[in-house]
Amino acid sequence: MKYMLVLLAIPALLLPAACLIYIVYQALPALDVDLIFGSDAVVIGVNSVGQALWSQISGSLLMMSLACLLAMPMAASIALFHAFWASHKQKKLLTSILQVLQGIPPIVYGLCGLVVLVHLLHWGISLAAGAVILSIIILPLLASNTIHALERIPLEQTESALSLGLSKVSVITRVWMPQAWPSFLTGLLLSMARALSETAPILFTATVFSGITWPDSIFSPVTSLQTHIFYLAQEGSNEQAIHTAWASAVVLLTLVLIFSLTALYLRRYERIS
Amino acid sequence: MNTAKQNSRCSIPQTSTLNQTMVNVENLSLQMGDKHILQHVSFDLPAADITSLIGPSGAGKSSLLRCMNMLNTDWTGHIQVQHTDIRHWHGGADILRKHIGLIAQKPAVFPVSIADNVLFGLSRSQQKENTSALLQHCLQQSALWDEVKDRLDQPANTLSIGQQQRLCLARALALKPSVLLLDEPTASLDPRSKQLIELSLHELAQNIPILCVTHDLDQAQRLQGNILFMCDGKIIETADCDSLFNHPQKLETREFLRWSVCDCD
Amino acid sequence: MNKQRLLLPIVLLGCIAALLGGLSLFWFLTSNAWNFFQSFGISALWQTEWYPYEDLYGFLPAILGTLWALCIAMLVAIPCGLAAAIVSSELLPNTWQSIARLSMEILAGIPSVVYGLIGLWVLLPFLQEHLNLLTGHSLLAAGLILSLMILPTIMLMAQDALDSVSQEQREAALNLGLDWNQLLIRILLPQAWPGIRSGLLLALGRGLGETMAVMLVVGSLDRIPQPFYNILEPAQTLTSRIGREMGEAAFGSMHFAALITCGLVLAVFATIISLSAQRKGSIA
Repeated sequence: MKYMLVLLAIPALLLPAACLIYIVYQALPALDVDLIFGSDAVVIGVNSVGQALWSQISGSLLMMSLACLLAMPMAASIALFHAFWASHKQKKLLTSILQVLQGIPPIVYGLCGLVVLVHLLHWGISLAAGAVILSIIILPLLASNTIHALERIPLEQTESALSLGLSKVSVITRVWMPQAWPSFLTGLLLSMARALSETAPILFTATVFSGITWPDSIFSPVTSLQTHIFYLAQEGSNEQAIHTAWASAVVLLTLVLIFSLTALYLRRYERIS
Repeated sequence: MNTAKQNSRCSIPQTSTLNQTMVNVENLSLQMGDKHILQHVSFDLPAADITSLIGPSGAGKSSLLRCMNMLNTDWTGHIQVQHTDIRHWHGGADILRKHIGLIAQKPAVFPVSIADNVLFGLSRSQQKENTSALLQHCLQQSALWDEVKDRLDQPANTLSIGQQQRLCLARALALKPSVLLLDEPTASLDPRSKQLIELSLHELAQNIPILCVTHDLDQAQRLQGNILFMCDGKIIETADCDSLFNHPQKLETREFLRWSVCDCD
Repeated sequence: MNKQRLLLPIVLLGCIAALLGGLSLFWFLTSNAWNFFQSFGISALWQTEWYPYEDLYGFLPAILGTLWALCIAMLVAIPCGLAAAIVSSELLPNTWQSIARLSMEILAGIPSVVYGLIGLWVLLPFLQEHLNLLTGHSLLAAGLILSLMILPTIMLMAQDALDSVSQEQREAALNLGLDWNQLLIRILLPQAWPGIRSGLLLALGRGLGETMAVMLVVGSLDRIPQPFYNILEPAQTLTSRIGREMGEAAFGSMHFAALITCGLVLAVFATIISLSAQRKGSIA
């Protein structure tokens, strides 16, 4: 039985390393400084596949930050409502709803965003639409992480602070924030990683393939790393496009891993201390 | 009545009529990192009767039990049960543990019914047989039968801690062990359960050897039998109950009995 | 004191914004789907033809494709993921355990479009060569790439659940002379089951909603495989259909309403999965 389990487990345990090594190996021909900062676009066919990735990276990061900025106050409000005002029944309902929302496929949010934001509100394919959609996608994750972070604070501390006559605002700033900031940050970083890796919902609502280095306003389309990979992946006949796709994947992966690994490190650090 | 011999090879005076040894521990040492947990521990357990292991906390009492059960395998020396070295036990450590019942300080019941808990250690074919007689016998031996006989199919974690501990005792007894090791079995229990467990230990001690770790000197006195006094991983003194409590031979023992402190360095 | 009075309105504002977002989303889904069902009837769900240009909207091929892909993914990922969790939490020494954990967390963090890339340029040529397929685009490819994506979820949740079985329980079982297999089957797995189960459901939900990777490898052919268990043929899933046709469908057309209905079907499936995860979870 032990041997059977080990035999089954070996592929699962080796796959992650294999995947990472393969991605980097495929990306090597295209990985250099020019890839990110270079300006000479190598035009092949209609699309400039050799284009430097700088605009895609900035587009992705811009959209991610906007989405987080939008989602943070909402998540904080939900968590505070949960902590201060909600009754036991409301709390249960709230967490249940958040869990359901978290389970709904992102593409469904993207579809709704396409209808409401792009068409009904006439925002067009735009940065704003993408940011709003992403913020709604990460909202349940961020909110439930914040709620959990607040719940981990011992109840006695909050109660003794309140019984000292501290107001709710000072409880938040003087008792909760100093203690729970690593948890808040962990939640935020995980949401950022999530926002950065979502592709499908922004494919038709916020991004175009090329031609934009920096969006003029929030109502103009952007380029993003995720969708860039998607477009390049389908350029089947072009060797260089594929290598650029793998290289973009490496860049995207690095960005995502910076966020998620920092979050994991923080979580572990918090568990130890 | 024999008196305790004060040589390095401590053998327990035989108060019972049975003269063969059941468990024989010789020169047992255990090291964790650079800390010596047990140093050259040697003693025998007779084929029946209670032996209490007393000593301050951190003396290595629990580690000793875990070595005898092969939960801890890094030790050196010899442990023989029924004249067989436990390292070369036929069938391996799992089978050995069926012969040596160990009851931990905190009861750990499994999240199944009371009856299933008692029968948990039995093999599947044994469980298929008519088990109600065995069930009743074990629960009676551990003085729990009267309290649970009407609700054997209820989940075991509805019992109180004291009842859970007695359930653990019954669970170990269902395997018909040839030795019973107890690690402060009554440390966190109510007086009533404590009394019941001590009573059933007295009963059981007529047939099998029992090694009971305790830090409660009164309990050691109540249990009678032999006493092993351990400190800093070494056995300081062994004697039967009355002579150890009334005429301790060693200075450390006297200090421990009077002040509950021990300085053996 | 001014701050105190501001807190409640601000919090309420935030909550109302979130609530409005959620409600409008729900409303747009249902109202569009309602329009669609009024014109085509509920029977569209089990009709087999999907030709938007001839106004034929049958959902069965995509629903069947989704189910097949999920089935394959779970069949591959559950044994591997559980075995990996058991091996890493019970058999490996501590250092290797944390390495295995870290690598799984990295695998979980890889964006889906990168998985799509792997599927398109590694898995498809492989299948094409070894199974003599035309292009490799197939349900099997979709299932395999999905299994890779849900593997970390299953393994991480199962490992957490196994780790949370207390040391006392393990030792109590060992004291009764149970060997390793019995310990696993009678103590560890039953006690870790609630956690493992919610991990499986979470993985199921993730697999259901995955779009990019599936879209790139499934082939997007709106046809029920012939015969229906032929997983080597290209097919279509709900998510890949939305992803493929979202850009083409004219806004306001019946085609668009049909796509939104696809979204609603997905949302309903996802809700069922997460609700069932919650309900049983609270009992255990």
